Amino acid sequence: MRRYSIMYFISQSFKGLWRNGVMTLASITVLVSCLIVMGSFALLVANLNENLDSLGDMNEIVAFIDLEKTDEEIAAIREKVNGYDNVKEMEYVSKDDALAEEKAKYEEDYPDFFDGITSDIYPASLVITYEDNEKVETLKYELEHTEGIYKVNCRSDVAETIETMKNGIIWLFLWFLLVLFVVSLFVIVNTIKLAVFGRRQEISVMRYVGATNWFIMTPFVLEGVLIGLFSSGIAFGVQVYIYKFIQDMVATDYGMFTIIPFEEIQMILLLGFVGIGVLTGIIGSCISLRKNLRA
Amino acid sequence: MIEFENVKKVYPNGTLALDGVDLKINDGEFVFIVGSSGAGKSTLMKLLLREEKVTSGTIKVDEFDLARMSNYKVPYYRRQLGVVFQDFRLFQNKTVFENVSFAMRAIGEPNSVIRKRVPAILNIVGLQNKMKNYPRELSGGEQQRVALARALVNNPSIIIADEPTGNLDPELSFDMMNLLRRINKSKNKTVVVITHEKNLVDHFQERVVRLEEGKMIEDRVGGMFE
Repeated sequence: MRRYSIMYFISQSFKGLWRNGVMTLASITVLVSCLIVMGSFALLVANLNENLDSLGDMNEIVAFIDLEKTDEEIAAIREKVNGYDNVKEMEYVSKDDALAEEKAKYEEDYPDFFDGITSDIYPASLVITYEDNEKVETLKYELEHTEGIYKVNCRSDVAETIETMKNGIIWLFLWFLLVLFVVSLFVIVNTIKLAVFGRRQEISVMRYVGATNWFIMTPFVLEGVLIGLFSSGIAFGVQVYIYKFIQDMVATDYGMFTIIPFEEIQMILLLGFVGIGVLTGIIGSCISLRKNLRA
Repeated sequence: MIEFENVKKVYPNGTLALDGVDLKINDGEFVFIVGSSGAGKSTLMKLLLREEKVTSGTIKVDEFDLARMSNYKVPYYRRQLGVVFQDFRLFQNKTVFENVSFAMRAIGEPNSVIRKRVPAILNIVGLQNKMKNYPRELSGGEQQRVALARALVNNPSIIIADEPTGNLDPELSFDMMNLLRRINKSKNKTVVVITHEKNLVDHFQERVVRLEEGKMIEDRVGGMFE
């Protein structure tokens, strides 16, 4: 492409944007809004996933040992369970520990309740943290069929819920992304259509004098690209501000919630914004120009 | 050379616009296409510009076969043509120079060529002193000459003028037609003028092709309107 052609295309694109100022502004506003919503949702999903993953790490199974088992038998059970696959950590809670836990919970409110109660009525238990959520059912089965264990409390339902939630959030995000993409596309299509309408006489003359389709089309596609670039730049700036604000707020008020440092995700966010913005611009322009590209 | 062979054009709504037209126009000829409203003149022009495709028959313009030509070749074919419209189709926000140079820019000519060629063409149509004027500052005749300059600037071999004097008074119409004839004779360009102006056709005594109801009913050199 010759240098003067590039300059011509760029100048025509800027003129087009300027000429349809109101629609350009409307397009940028809508695209910025859509990008911010998309970006916020993406960041929310990323952070939720991060936190759900760490919630998953807290999954544990509690196996209760028969009351009548002796210390030697309990030691044998502990050794056996410790050898099971998928056991990450195992904590032994003795009968005395169990009574102490109960007292810690209720003695203050019901001081007389524990009179005469000994640790014999409390079963010893094994609190097992496992490595892999997906293999939890196997571990549960093994524990339930272990001689000397009479009851197993498993929070595999929590793990499942977490997985379901993660999948649901991702699907919701993808649908959201699609809807916002279509909305952005619709606005850009109309902006470029207006630009094409405003220059219909030029296009008609260009066609009669033998301008090629790409020569006619390029300034409009560039207009779409410029709208996409401006929008992604603005959206990124606003997103940085919003994220940092939330980051500060979460760090101050909700200490148990971890938030991904912005520096770790800023590049992917910027590339995502520019990619979606420019793609929307190009596709929008091409849709608008389809009819005008007839020979 | 322009060659129509048994050309038929039926629009999707069923209107038969041209029916078995055979027409041959040699290089450097000057031809008036005349006929009443609905005779098929506009369709003939659309076919020649390859805005429409024939339903049957063939149209050949130099090495281009318009019936079989793929769409991507159309712009390159149109560079052989210079088109002048009744309503001038000038850009009111561009100067005379910019209006004419627009046609060169649209086919990617460099500035250095544009700067040389546009004044030369404006000189041919007698507007060398109006380069910086805007169309609104020109008379109807001058505006049509700008349109003619734009049609000529890419050095086409064929000039197609669709009612070029339709918006001009009689005196300016004669001037315009004289200019077209001068270009035809001096530059050896084929000129096809679609018109319904009897006085002009009768005065210039050129080849006249008459269409009626989609059929070519007369083709006479030195013909009159009726």
